[in-house]
Amino acid sequence: MAESTTEHHNPHVEVPNEHIGIPGYLGVFALLVVGTILTYYVALMDLDWIFAGANTLVALGIAFTKMTFVMLFFMHVRWSPKLVWMAAVGAFFWLALMFAYTMQDYLTRGTGYFGH
Amino acid sequence: MSAHSHSDKFVYHEPGLQHQFDDMGQQEESVSLGMWLFLAQEIMFFGGLFTAYLVMRSKYPLAFASGSNHLDAFLGGANTLVLIVSSLTMALTVYYAQKGNRNMQVGLIVLTMLFGLAFLGIKAYEYTDKYNHGLVPMAGLNRRVKADSATTEHVGLVLPGETAVSASEAKPGAEPYVNPHGEFQWHEYELVQHMMEKQRAEPNGHYLTTTERLAYSTSPGSLVLDQNKFRDKVRIFFYIYFVMTGLHALHMIIGLGIMTWLLWMAYKSTFNAEYFSPVEMSGLYWHFVDIVWIFLFPLLYLLGRHYVHLGL
Amino acid sequence: METVGAIEAGSYGTAKLNYLNNGSTLRSWLLTKDHKRIAIMYLISVSVFFLMGGLYAATIRLELLTPASDLLETGTYNKVFTQHGILMVFFFLIPSIPAVLGNFLIPIMIGAKDLALPRINLLSLYIYWIGGAITLWALMQGGVDTGWTFYTPYSTTFSNTYVLAVGVGIFINGFSSILTGVNFLVTIHTMRAPGMTWFRMPLFVWAHYAVSLIFVLGTPVVAITLLLVAIERVAHVGIFDPALGGDPILFQHMFWFYSHPAVYIMVLPGMGIVSELIANFARKRIFGYEFVAFSSIGLAVFGFLVWGHHMFVSGQSMYASLVFSFLTMVVAIPSAIKMFNWTATLYQGSISFDTPMLYGLAFMGLFLIGGFTGLYLGALGLNVHLTDTYFVIGHFHYVMVGGQVIAYLGGLHYWWPKMTGKMYSEFWGRVAAMLIFVGFNLTFFPQLILGYLGMPRRYAAYPPEMQVLNIFSSAGASVLGVGLTMPVFYFIHSLIKGKPAPDNPWLLPGLEWRTSSPPPTENFDKPPVVTWEIYDFGDENGLDLEAARREAATVNA
Repeated sequence: MAESTTEHHNPHVEVPNEHIGIPGYLGVFALLVVGTILTYYVALMDLDWIFAGANTLVALGIAFTKMTFVMLFFMHVRWSPKLVWMAAVGAFFWLALMFAYTMQDYLTRGTGYFGH
Repeated sequence: MSAHSHSDKFVYHEPGLQHQFDDMGQQEESVSLGMWLFLAQEIMFFGGLFTAYLVMRSKYPLAFASGSNHLDAFLGGANTLVLIVSSLTMALTVYYAQKGNRNMQVGLIVLTMLFGLAFLGIKAYEYTDKYNHGLVPMAGLNRRVKADSATTEHVGLVLPGETAVSASEAKPGAEPYVNPHGEFQWHEYELVQHMMEKQRAEPNGHYLTTTERLAYSTSPGSLVLDQNKFRDKVRIFFYIYFVMTGLHALHMIIGLGIMTWLLWMAYKSTFNAEYFSPVEMSGLYWHFVDIVWIFLFPLLYLLGRHYVHLGL
Repeated sequence: METVGAIEAGSYGTAKLNYLNNGSTLRSWLLTKDHKRIAIMYLISVSVFFLMGGLYAATIRLELLTPASDLLETGTYNKVFTQHGILMVFFFLIPSIPAVLGNFLIPIMIGAKDLALPRINLLSLYIYWIGGAITLWALMQGGVDTGWTFYTPYSTTFSNTYVLAVGVGIFINGFSSILTGVNFLVTIHTMRAPGMTWFRMPLFVWAHYAVSLIFVLGTPVVAITLLLVAIERVAHVGIFDPALGGDPILFQHMFWFYSHPAVYIMVLPGMGIVSELIANFARKRIFGYEFVAFSSIGLAVFGFLVWGHHMFVSGQSMYASLVFSFLTMVVAIPSAIKMFNWTATLYQGSISFDTPMLYGLAFMGLFLIGGFTGLYLGALGLNVHLTDTYFVIGHFHYVMVGGQVIAYLGGLHYWWPKMTGKMYSEFWGRVAAMLIFVGFNLTFFPQLILGYLGMPRRYAAYPPEMQVLNIFSSAGASVLGVGLTMPVFYFIHSLIKGKPAPDNPWLLPGLEWRTSSPPPTENFDKPPVVTWEIYDFGDENGLDLEAARREAATVNA
């Protein structure tokens, strides 16, 4: 079946993009594995001497890095139209808004000028 | 009929071109944008849960840390690796679909599905462990252990089918495990007690949050641990754990269903350089589920691991 | 360049193949992927839910005729107002304009053959039916009494009604909205006809773009919230129960994160219709097109940042209340931009007072009151006095009914000839519009006063000195009821005995008026190429006005 369709070359579809190729995919994969192992061992270290909650911040930083690589290369966002970038970034921005405006309530309970 | 004069100019046959589009380029753009908007929707869907997590954890960090310490971080990490491998095989599936290489597609899809099943298997094993130890936050959904058959097994992991851990492995002085009604059980108060002692010694220290000082104490300001109150907060952690991982597992199961369909399509050599968007869209979904787990792993399994140096 | 719009004489009538007579089996309807047929099925479905919600409303107004709770037991009364709210909000107001008129018109307005994802469109209809069926089943089993807001811990711990089933019904129904939103966004981005640039699109399409953003980014949050409520009811964990360390205010944050933007779902499409009506019936380019378009997007975006104004008295921090109150004032700006631009459009226009325009003008007046009372409620100090009184009820009915329902009716009259190919009775149309306007004000203006006097919402009984205003309100409700029932009759009458509609009954330049009435299955005989601005009433819009007039004259003869 594959032959019958490839005979008529469709002028609208470009030659398939190689993206980063197999070595590239393996490289991203290796990075993700390293990230996972790193998260695990950093969590065992006590980073509270930097500031309280530093452990969580480091863990989230690694998670964000991993996510960025998955999205850019595995999900091909790097080669996608601007609209896809907007959908991806926009959704996370919206989530950040939800976090921020919810926490502005919880973090200001009973404090400041109007607190009890 | 003049109505189709525009579409008649396409002399070649385009399999999979739907009637409302002019060409494959427009169709692919539409489908890909639709999928990304669906993923945006998914981000907000899980985002609601992450908000609940954020609020509850900011209120009760110690209860969350205690609960998290009871999860098996090694299995969680292993599952993360399993998912990452499945993401790699998925990405390679798209790569070979673009090349029209049927055998590699079929093989890689089967591999992806196997890793997905491995993930669910490990997850099921973890859930069974929670069931055996009375950590399912709903009364009646835990294993029932009558008082007369009580053991000290709650100390270690119990494999499905196994019933008890030898008494020599049990912590000295541990209470016998009794759970006649299958209720939520919690027995580990060392961490919170340690922090409360420190807080009592240093009233200006930040060992407990303001909310926690009220929420765990027998009476406001007493800083004497009320075990029932603390257990309620740990139960909220396990509730969030089960809802988040459960919804994630549900997404995995749906993903496996999509993969089965994809396997059939690939087996029939449906995909080639000109038509592979179903593979690409399924890939996007699969990677998204992977990304959710990338966040769930540190946020659920790795809290308060650094307290191990306290030697509690 | 050749443009569409040349109307062939006799293109109306039954001989021509159109989307209605292209297949008449039940299967050809239930498995259709045609956005127009799906829209018609939505029209019938939302009308059924509107009728049921209306009967509940009638029951409420009957009970409130007398100060004592004599018609209904107080528990039953709780169920009645809850079910009125749930049916009207989730099953009528939210899908009404987008799923019916948006579905029908967006592809035609931008010159596409169909929505980008027709199968998804059909799926969303089925999801809507499944969600609706579960909810109706729950209502028949005994209903729910939590108020449409499902506030915790009452809904999770104390209420012994069918919260679980209704929650599941609304959860499922949410995915219908999400899929519709995804479909609209994709369609507007990728399916526009050649020449249909962003700033040539009708404002109706812009409004739906904004609404779809809310559908996609907001609805999943309320879905997960209701899921948590449902699990909480089963598992009694206490995430929303303060007695067990949970937090009921967390529920309110999560619920209103969607449900405040949902308020804009319930008025933005209406604003889109009114923009069409005002410009087209004043026969003038809309004043400040770009501002009206971007104010829709502005409402959608800022609408997400004001949810805390529902929580001023529920234990939210004072700092958060201040921020939310300020942002509430900010979100009034895009609404005001629209009002000013509509007014400026009317200035020196050649206005014709056809039935749709009556609804358009009614919207402007009623939404003005609805919007201003919203500002009162957004002001921190005054809110403490007005929270949970009939002032709130009056306010949001002025926006929901005075806004969305009025605009929906206006749109339905405006596009009825296009959708069905039949003309309705203009006389009865105007009578119904007047009755609805008078009845609406008589119903809800007394409620604003009652609320200011302190009558709380959700009570079956009230002090005797408030009876006069309540009688006014109930009397108005019966006038409103009569007015809302009339279109059912003359619309059905028009289907049977109405005159065939010309392709362009109002002599307008929009793309939807350049195809036959009713349109063919693929919307246009020739794919349109747009060379004019959509509100261009000059000579450059490629419209053969004389031919349209001739056709209208033939039809009316």
